[in-house]
Amino acid sequence: MSTVAGPDQGGPARSGGPWSWRAPAWRTWPTRVVGFWRSSLSFRTVALTVVLSTVAVTVIGTLISVTIGTSLYDQRREQVEAESVRATLLAQNIFDSATATEDANQVELDALQNEAQTAILGSTSSPGGTSIAILRTPGQNSPQTIQNIASPDFPDSVISPALREAVAADDGRLSMQSVSLPPTSLGGGSPGIAVGSTLQVPTAGQYELYLVYDLSDAQATLDLMQRTLGIGSLALVLLIGAITYLVVRLVVGPIRTAAETSQKIAAGHLEERIPEKGQDVVATLGRSFNGMADAMQRQISQLAELSRVQQRFVSDVSHELRTPLTTIRLAGDVLYDQRTSFTPSAARTAELLHTQVDRFELLLADLLEISRFDAGAVELETEPVTVVRLVEDGVDEFGPLAAESGSVVSVVARGGYFEAEIDPRRLRRILRNLLGNAIEHGEGRPIEVEVDSDATAVAVAVRDNGVGMSPADAARVFDRFWRADPSRKRTIGGTGLGLAISLEDAALHGGRLEVWSEPGSGSRFVVTLPRVAGGRIEGSPLPVVPPDRRGETTVPVTGEPWSGSVPAVEVPGASVPSSAPSKGRADDD
Amino acid sequence: MNPRILVVDDDPALAEMIGIVLRADEFDPHFCGDGAGALEAFHEASPDLVLLDLMLPGLDGIEVCRLIRAESGVPIIMLTAKGDTADVVRGLESGADDYVVKPFNPKELVARIRTRLRPATEPTNDVLTVGDLRLDVAAHEVRRGDTPIALTPLEFELLLALASKPQQVFTREMLLEQVWGYHYKADTRLVNVHVQRLRAKVEHDPDAPRIVTTVRGVGYRAGAGS
Repeated sequence: MSTVAGPDQGGPARSGGPWSWRAPAWRTWPTRVVGFWRSSLSFRTVALTVVLSTVAVTVIGTLISVTIGTSLYDQRREQVEAESVRATLLAQNIFDSATATEDANQVELDALQNEAQTAILGSTSSPGGTSIAILRTPGQNSPQTIQNIASPDFPDSVISPALREAVAADDGRLSMQSVSLPPTSLGGGSPGIAVGSTLQVPTAGQYELYLVYDLSDAQATLDLMQRTLGIGSLALVLLIGAITYLVVRLVVGPIRTAAETSQKIAAGHLEERIPEKGQDVVATLGRSFNGMADAMQRQISQLAELSRVQQRFVSDVSHELRTPLTTIRLAGDVLYDQRTSFTPSAARTAELLHTQVDRFELLLADLLEISRFDAGAVELETEPVTVVRLVEDGVDEFGPLAAESGSVVSVVARGGYFEAEIDPRRLRRILRNLLGNAIEHGEGRPIEVEVDSDATAVAVAVRDNGVGMSPADAARVFDRFWRADPSRKRTIGGTGLGLAISLEDAALHGGRLEVWSEPGSGSRFVVTLPRVAGGRIEGSPLPVVPPDRRGETTVPVTGEPWSGSVPAVEVPGASVPSSAPSKGRADDD
Repeated sequence: MNPRILVVDDDPALAEMIGIVLRADEFDPHFCGDGAGALEAFHEASPDLVLLDLMLPGLDGIEVCRLIRAESGVPIIMLTAKGDTADVVRGLESGADDYVVKPFNPKELVARIRTRLRPATEPTNDVLTVGDLRLDVAAHEVRRGDTPIALTPLEFELLLALASKPQQVFTREMLLEQVWGYHYKADTRLVNVHVQRLRAKVEHDPDAPRIVTTVRGVGYRAGAGS
């Protein structure tokens, strides 16, 4: 299932059953945000600041809003209370003055009531508008009644039974209640205050006067204030975010520069430095960083210089030794060719001279090679190489020697038929060493060579069925000048450096060389190289423990290249000697 | 008359020993001990082949090689002490035909000299064509139209080997055996460098070769192929 699905590929476009369902883009957001959170210091800082300041601003804003709202309400309530008292007195006075004249009849009462209503409405000055109602207190008997009246838009619903009870009970006092006015054509849901009081109407008994004040103007003020506060808070939070971002940029910027610079230095650009500006802590960081880089560059240059001196020395020794050695070699060979005309002792001397010059030559070549590795003065020269072909060539080359020892060399190649990026001279040298060893220690028994490859690596295994080695010996097999059994007769004659060089050759490819061995069962060497130059290998297509020995206790040994710790430093202008073209010799151990 | 060999080497013992080996194989050695006098010695001896040490006092062996190559196609075999990749390639690029790494043995040296003195191909009177070139095998001459192209004997051998079997793709190993006389895996850079040198002389555009073309992953062939 591909994860590169576009965000618009969900829904109807889904097909192929439930398993082809793709996560819509928003599903990946949490992952992405978490990833961004982890990777970006600026994002983390800004986000934290914004969240915290939002919380603070919200708390403060709510507090302000509540305080102002309360005080606005209290103020209006006092005003309403005062007005209500005045209105009640006014109405009561009107009814009382009528009482004083004579017994009112019904018509007069109605007129009185209208007069009172007009007077009350005239007396109020509430900006929100006032509604009025005069209701008869239920449950009384009186000779006359006046009609319940109410102003046209009186919201009956706001006069709750509880209020009516309170008004009826608390004689002579104002009862107040906050109400929500029902929606009207002008807008609705605005808050209001309902005030109830009692009026004593002569001959008609007790009536309740209700005044409902609309507080929508106060609400409007509050709304405006809250909106302003909200917008202001948002702006403040955004501003804080922006400021934080700016500050973080100012602080993180130099750190990022330092990080990038150190990466460049690590990548080999030793001359990279951080610009030093000002006297602040960031500049101090830059200065100390640059100081460190200077010291490091000096050290590395020194190492590079040492390496160059070493290379120079190796090159000089090589030249100085090889010229006289060539003369000795030529002289020895001339004598050797004429040995039949010498006395027996002189002839034998010529023979010894001949063979030992050969040995000396091999030793010198290997010593120079290993010192090149130690100096880091080696270079991988890869070209497309078919490993199977190289292995077959190597086996052919050793055909005569194998036949002489009685060993039959078989090649099983399950892979390795493609062109890998390998330095053929180095792989050839590895194969020569492994085959030479197998023949020398193989006791004339069969030798099996395997080639296989996987996605990342190509491997060659060489197995002999000879004497084998103890685990302690196997652990030292890659050591320089180490010999498994010094008393053994040497048929091929090696320098004791062959496997050490092979190990370095494998390591130079980024590959490895491993050995499994068991006394009496023989040894198996596996060289594993990456398919492409600079590639990495995980496992090996060929296990180092032979398939028929799986599960046994013999622990294989993976060679640790000695030069692995030497940093590869590119030294401008330094010539890089590499291995001499091998002339088909078998350096072995 | 024995073939004349000019030995340019600053080590008197080695030069003398090489002389002994060469005389034993019926060559006529001449000697020069420093780079500065090498060209003069070359003029005096007019040798059939030059054995040239790369590390010389006075004038660098590579420079001597370039000077000789500038006026003659005489076979040059380098004696290299370093076995240094860079030096070998520089030597070959400056015109050396082959190289021998010190320490070498007498048979190896003589074999290399004989291969260079005696062309590997049978002398015939054939005239071969490859692209717009005519190869006169007997005259060891290559012409484009009427213009002769000056090739060294080795470059001629290389071109001839390819042109004589225009249908065949030659691997580097095949060319090493046929032209250089190596019967074992030798340094394929010999082929690479000399193909470059040959192309520089015979191709109209050495970057887009049509006479000696590369068959990727295999080797070289004459002509652009079918």
